[in-house]
This record gives sequence, structure tokens and C-alpha cells, in this order.
Amino acid sequence: MSAFLPLPVLASAAAHCQPVSLGDWRNLLAVIWDFLSLSLFSLGGGNTLLSEYHQMAVDQYCWLNSRQFADLYAIAEAAPGPSSMLVGLLGMGAAIREGPLWGLVSGVGAEVAILLPSTVVMVVASISWNRWRDSAWRVAFERGLGPITLGILFAVGLKILRISDHDTPAYAVSAVVCVLMLRSRIPPLWFMAVAALLGGLGLVNR
Amino acid sequence: MTSSRPLEAPAPSPSHLELFLGMQQVALSSFGGGLSAWSERIVVEERRWLNQAEFLTGLTVARLFPGPNQVNMAVYIGSRFHGLSGALIAIAGLLLIPFSLLLLLGLAYYQLHMLPAVDRLLAGVITASAGMAISMGFKLVGAYSRDPMALLLAAVSFLAMTVFHVRLIPLVLVLGPLAMAWYWPRQR
Repeated sequence: MSAFLPLPVLASAAAHCQPVSLGDWRNLLAVIWDFLSLSLFSLGGGNTLLSEYHQMAVDQYCWLNSRQFADLYAIAEAAPGPSSMLVGLLGMGAAIREGPLWGLVSGVGAEVAILLPSTVVMVVASISWNRWRDSAWRVAFERGLGPITLGILFAVGLKILRISDHDTPAYAVSAVVCVLMLRSRIPPLWFMAVAALLGGLGLVNR
Repeated sequence: MTSSRPLEAPAPSPSHLELFLGMQQVALSSFGGGLSAWSERIVVEERRWLNQAEFLTGLTVARLFPGPNQVNMAVYIGSRFHGLSGALIAIAGLLLIPFSLLLLLGLAYYQLHMLPAVDRLLAGVITASAGMAISMGFKLVGAYSRDPMALLLAAVSFLAMTVFHVRLIPLVLVLGPLAMAWYWPRQR
């Protein structure tokens, strides 16, 4: 385990600002609070949070640069399980400078913080659903928040596209994947595999 | 597996351990995709914890409330039998293996991403994931195409975020109540 590289990685990670260290407990509390409060705004399955995550990890706390954020997003999408586990990878990035063990602890902590509030609400909702089912609040919430979620998802998609793609072939691949996601039933993993191949061959670049 | 189904007799309610193992089975079966289909097969058909209608209600609730849909579905199933502790154990069952795997990938990433070969592969993969990201909005837009107010709300939230850099929480706190007032069900 001591064979871990000295992480030149993060030296170059965010030259534009100083990474915020979690060693100071006030920073730690601020970060935990950020994840806890975002939890209840994860509408539409959680993808609405992606630009907030980017804002936090890249602009506000400087744990990562945009390029690394795009990489981690892609890894979370490609790996099995809910893609919202991306938060674990971001949390890991916040503490990986202190070593892999702290990276793991921080990753687990971030994931717990992002899931806890929404889980508590969901428990209450599941147990008392019969009381809410026909309530005007439920109808208005569902119909009102739907279009807002839609607008946010477009904004988030655009943001991811901006931080991911840099040459014309790369944009073309994204466009093709988008169309195929909507028009075909090809499993997403195939797109990832083909795109990785294109990248490996140097046909798409950033 | 067992195709002998005597008129949907519900199984006795699962213990914590059974919940954990059942959700773990869901997670493992869905490696490669199709989580919600696997979840239905295992939870409804094999283990008979919920019937079809209850499962669909669960999906509705899981999508409506904040949180990742699959995680919320696990909460719905777990809390039905054992309240909060059931919910937590169901999440643990669902996430333990995939999340551990993802953390290992993360450690590998933070060690290796400066290698040119890794960087080139990822440069490819992100083009696909960016395409998936923009498809999320297009997937939903059809449902609102004949509701001008919905399209206006979507446009306002899109512009607020991309052009005016409004953060998510204030955006939802301001637009959300306005939209709810507009869509408040009126008795006729």
C-alpha cells in the first residue's frame, strides 16, 4: 500500500485556486452541510445536482479541475449501480491528498451526507403515502416541479458537454450518442466502450 | 425460477438479513444495466415482497421525492417492512458492492489518470457520457410539448442556470412555489 504514487496529479489539479482542506473542522462541517442541504434538491433522480457538484468541487473548494470532474462523471456513469454515487468519488477527491485511506473515509462520508436527508423524507413518504396520494399538494408538487426539473436537466447536460468535449469529432460522438440514447435500445455500456476505443485510437481528443 | 404460483399468495415479510440479501441480488443482477426491470423481477416475481400494483406505486413515490430513484425504491421496500432500519439495510444491500467497486475505481483513477493511455481512453468515454447527459432533457421534453406554461418554466430555469448562473437551491425555492401555485388543482 505504501507503493502509492506521490500524487503529482493534484498539484496540477487546480492551479487557479487553493484546494480547501478538510483538516480544518470548520471546512469539514461546511462541506457536510453543503451535501446535506443539496440532498433534498435532488429532483428527477438526482441528475439535477450535477452542476452544483461541479460548482462545489471545482470552483468553490478546488478539489478537482473541470477535466477531472468530467472523468469522474464518466466513470460513475460507466460503473454498475446508480450513477449518483459520483458523490463518493468527489468526496474522495476532497481528501485524497491526505492519502488513500482518508480518500475512502471522505468518499463514504460524502455519500452518506447526500443520501441521508432524502432517505428520511422518503421513509416518511412511503409510510404515509396513502394520505398524500390524492392531496392537492402532491398534485401541484408533481406537476409544478416537473417542468423546472426539465429545464435544469437541459442546463446540466449543456454544462457536462461544455466541460467534456473539446474537438469537433468529440462533439460529433456526443451528438450521435444522444440521438441513439433517444432512438435506440442499445445498452449505454456499448456507447462507453466504443467511445473509449475512439479515444484510445486518438480519434477524439479534448 | 419457481413457476408454480398459487394465486399470488404474499410471502411472509422479510427479515433484515433477507432484505439485505435481496437488494444485493438486485444490485448484482443489474450489473450492465436495467436495474428497475431486475428489481421488479426479484422483488415481485421471485420473492413476492410486493405485488405488481404496490411495486408501481413504489416507483411513483420514488420518482416524485428527492433522491436517486433506485435508492428511493430500496427505501420504499425496506421501510414498508421495518421502518427506518429496514430502509437503511435495503440501501446498504443495494449499494455495498457497487459503491465499493466504484471507490476502488476512484482510487485507481486518482493514481493513474496522468498516464497518457488512461487519459486518452477517458477522453473517449467522456464524449459518450456527455451525450447521455444531454439526452436526459430530450427524453422528458415530449411529455410537456403541449403545455406552454411548462415549456416557459423549463426555459426560465434553463436560462437562469446557464446565462445568469443562478444556483440550484434559490432557483427551486423561487420558481417551485410559483409553479405549484399555477398547477394547483382547481375544483370544477
